[in-house]
Amino acid sequence: MCFGRSSIPFIMITQIADDARPRLSRGVRMQIDRRTGARLLLFPEAILELNETAQEIVARCDGRAVDEIAIDLAEHYDVDLVTIRRDVRETLRDLQQRRLIEFE
Amino acid sequence: MIPPRPYALLAELTYKCPLHCPYCSNPTQIRVDVDLTTGEWHRVIREVAALGVLQIGFSGGEPLLRRDLAELIAAARSAGLYTNLITSGVGLNRNRTRELHAAGLDSVQLSFQADEVDLADAIAGTRVHDLKTEAARWIHEAEIPLSLNFVIHRANIDRLAQIIALGESLGSSRIELANTQFYGWGFLNRVQLLPTRHQVEHAREIAMAAQARLAGKIEIYYVLPDYYELSPKPCLNGWGSRYLTVNPIGDVLPCPTAASAIPEMRFENVRRRSLEWIWRESESFNAFRGTEWMPEPCRSCPQRDIDFGGCRCQAALVTGKAHNADPVCKFSSHRPKIDHVIASLNSERTEWIPRSGPAMLA
Repeated sequence: MCFGRSSIPFIMITQIADDARPRLSRGVRMQIDRRTGARLLLFPEAILELNETAQEIVARCDGRAVDEIAIDLAEHYDVDLVTIRRDVRETLRDLQQRRLIEFE
Repeated sequence: MIPPRPYALLAELTYKCPLHCPYCSNPTQIRVDVDLTTGEWHRVIREVAALGVLQIGFSGGEPLLRRDLAELIAAARSAGLYTNLITSGVGLNRNRTRELHAAGLDSVQLSFQADEVDLADAIAGTRVHDLKTEAARWIHEAEIPLSLNFVIHRANIDRLAQIIALGESLGSSRIELANTQFYGWGFLNRVQLLPTRHQVEHAREIAMAAQARLAGKIEIYYVLPDYYELSPKPCLNGWGSRYLTVNPIGDVLPCPTAASAIPEMRFENVRRRSLEWIWRESESFNAFRGTEWMPEPCRSCPQRDIDFGGCRCQAALVTGKAHNADPVCKFSSHRPKIDHVIASLNSERTEWIPRSGPAMLA
């Protein structure tokens, strides 16, 4: 047993192509929190509670391309595609930096 | 105050271990009792899941010594928990790795003592290094996410570059380079284990360079020994706030080292009380919740909600009182005790006491 870790953050700058297909990285599981009903990402030694936008995006990381996810969300919520595209990219980039999703 | 929900359980399935690492944080003595049965662990898992726990770490000792490990992993998965195995790898073979994977094991943290066999086996006190490299291969083959944990101390810190190279070759996505923290056997051996300031700084540079080089491929974590920090670590994110530990005989601990570091504290047992009652009501879990319990210098310190006064166990071990500020803190009147350990590093004490099974207290 050992404890008490601290990390040195690193910055990864990446471009996300429209046809890239995001999926959860190996070892990452999405699960509904039985206490709150929120969708969570579970991974080794950590838990990430997803905000509403991220929940909807991650739920669609099932083999679809980035742009397909944005179009589906824009139709589903009847919102502006330009805004949704930006939100989807920001969320995916954030999750990729945390190594929770990867692109095919 | 209303206690928050717990997020993670450390399930210490046994204190038995085939290794004798001098930095082990397990207790050096423990009261005599029978280990929890399979059925009792099933109940613990159900109860913590109902409390809100989302992650379980199967640990020890060496958890592979329990023949019911796969069954308990399956129970944890069906209760919705993310399952981690924290192991030396001893007791694994290809079939058992597959069996654990089939049971739903989500990830493995495998410990190594060093990069090369003679040093590693000298630290472990037994010949296990080659077995561990095989274990890493089996875990990799079974496609279970693998994280490697190297405990770093004076006897291996100068080989950090080689240690990282071994980690890279084993197919891991995450390498922890964790300087020893001083609890249990590690506390007894701290003068033999603590690296010098120069060694720690040099190692940090090597770790940071590896981190930059491997970014996006392997995550590298470097954990400083807190004796060289001037502010304490935010231990457990606050006592009784996120974590609980159940030890092999069923005592429920706010921190795995609390039972040995704070001997005057009374801990509850899963054989007599529900996990929910213990988490919410027990004296031990409420002892250091929040900030009301704090004496000075913590009470009026602006950092108190950030570091929670540091580690209760370290305060107890070094100052004799668990509610004191963590003695690594520059505001602690006991900081000279830490500096004294650092100053005594060049003493003649180089032989450590190897870990053995805990002595039994009647």
